[in-house]
Amino acid sequence: MIDALIIGAGPAGLSAAIACAKQDLSVVVIDEFYRAGGRLLGQLHQEPDGTWWNGIEEALRLDREARALGVDIRCGVSVYDVSRTPGGWNVSTTAGKMETPLLLIATGASETAVPVPGWTLPGVMSIGAAQVMTNVQRVRVGERGVVIGVNILSVAIARELQLAGIQIDRMILPPASSITGNAGLPEEVMRALLRVAHLAPSPLLRWGSRFMHSHWMQSLAVRLYPSRGFPMWDIPIQLRTAALEIVGKAQVEGVRIAQITPDGQPIFGTEQLIPADFVCIAGGLSPLAELAAIAGCPFAYVPSLGGHVPIHNDQMQTALPGLFVAGNITGVESAKVAMAQGKVAGLSMAHARGALTDLSPLTDAIRDVKAVRQRATIQFHPDIDDGRALVEKLALAP
Amino acid sequence: MDAHQLIVCRCEEVSLAELMETAEAYPCSARELKLRTRAGMGCCGGRTCRVLVDQVIEKVTGQTPSHSVPLGYQPPVRPLSFQLMGGRNK
Repeated sequence: MIDALIIGAGPAGLSAAIACAKQDLSVVVIDEFYRAGGRLLGQLHQEPDGTWWNGIEEALRLDREARALGVDIRCGVSVYDVSRTPGGWNVSTTAGKMETPLLLIATGASETAVPVPGWTLPGVMSIGAAQVMTNVQRVRVGERGVVIGVNILSVAIARELQLAGIQIDRMILPPASSITGNAGLPEEVMRALLRVAHLAPSPLLRWGSRFMHSHWMQSLAVRLYPSRGFPMWDIPIQLRTAALEIVGKAQVEGVRIAQITPDGQPIFGTEQLIPADFVCIAGGLSPLAELAAIAGCPFAYVPSLGGHVPIHNDQMQTALPGLFVAGNITGVESAKVAMAQGKVAGLSMAHARGALTDLSPLTDAIRDVKAVRQRATIQFHPDIDDGRALVEKLALAP
Repeated sequence: MDAHQLIVCRCEEVSLAELMETAEAYPCSARELKLRTRAGMGCCGGRTCRVLVDQVIEKVTGQTPSHSVPLGYQPPVRPLSFQLMGGRNK
């Protein structure tokens, strides 16, 4: 009989496995990808202090440490159902059913789709798919690409593609429609981008930071934004240009674009067709909470955390007995925060099994999550702290 | 943008126009919109368009999302083979 089953071998799941295996719990980790690491596998970026964050190395390090502690990691296994039993949880997987007293759901986040006319053509992919093909599978996604959707994730991944020698022609906005929300509005995109100004030495951000001070000045910045865009790592970022349609007969051949007004409307007479053989669509991330929903977890809708998240306390416990959550399922943040949360969840599970006599490591780990969040170079949303506070308050409510 | 050509649910080939028109004709929940149009009911289980169906309802009816998840989840949450569900190999 195992003590804990962890769904997801990403930064949160592996860190949790390590933390509870260190307290002598018997742990199994399952993941539907063919190798452990989750989203870490795609990550490669330079920190503001000049050091490189190499996600593949981080994933290998966690994987080795967990296995050395006796953690049983099973890749290529999908979970399709979870249900409560008198003594814990029954988990249905493509490799059979498993019983466990404690269950940690660390399934991370999934990408949000942004429909653009022509997005069903071969050669159109999500930006995350391009990242995995480039950094994990080492497959060249194309010769010349256009990224539709400008946000912190897409800018970081465009840089990774560029490092791999793949040309990104430009980054533009999706067409403003009833379901593109803020992603098609230059002013909103600009505001979100300026928050990560410290991440890239770029003329855009030096120019834009002068307009940071007030809402009125930000509107002015968008009106003055040059149509050719500003380069970030030599990739033109065109906030006043939108994709109208992805065109091609049997696969992507180009993108029909137009300049747009500050509120996202195409400007008549500015249309042009630019050649491309692949297109990446970037709509951001939202917590992948389907298993927590099936388990019967109460949820909270918190836009700053990426959408609906299972309610949990600071020890990563949900309202359901023996059910824990950690990582991006609890809100979209960086891998370092996910690792810190995983450690908390692992120690909490050890505590629940009676294996943790001294509670100070758990208290320290909870404090560490907040410290890591404060230091995080990539803040996905300015109101993350408020969002976290709301979820904790809901967890305490009777 | 020509909403008629814009496919939102790829599995069931439901367009944005169809979703908008249905949501306007029957001011309804995301679940009802799903059942009326079949958006999100194809083989992927709505993994791509679920959020978009929610957004159409938000846009048309002005309903802001509540704490409960708008479109429920049912197992299995992944496509499965008949073999796994109890079928047998020859």
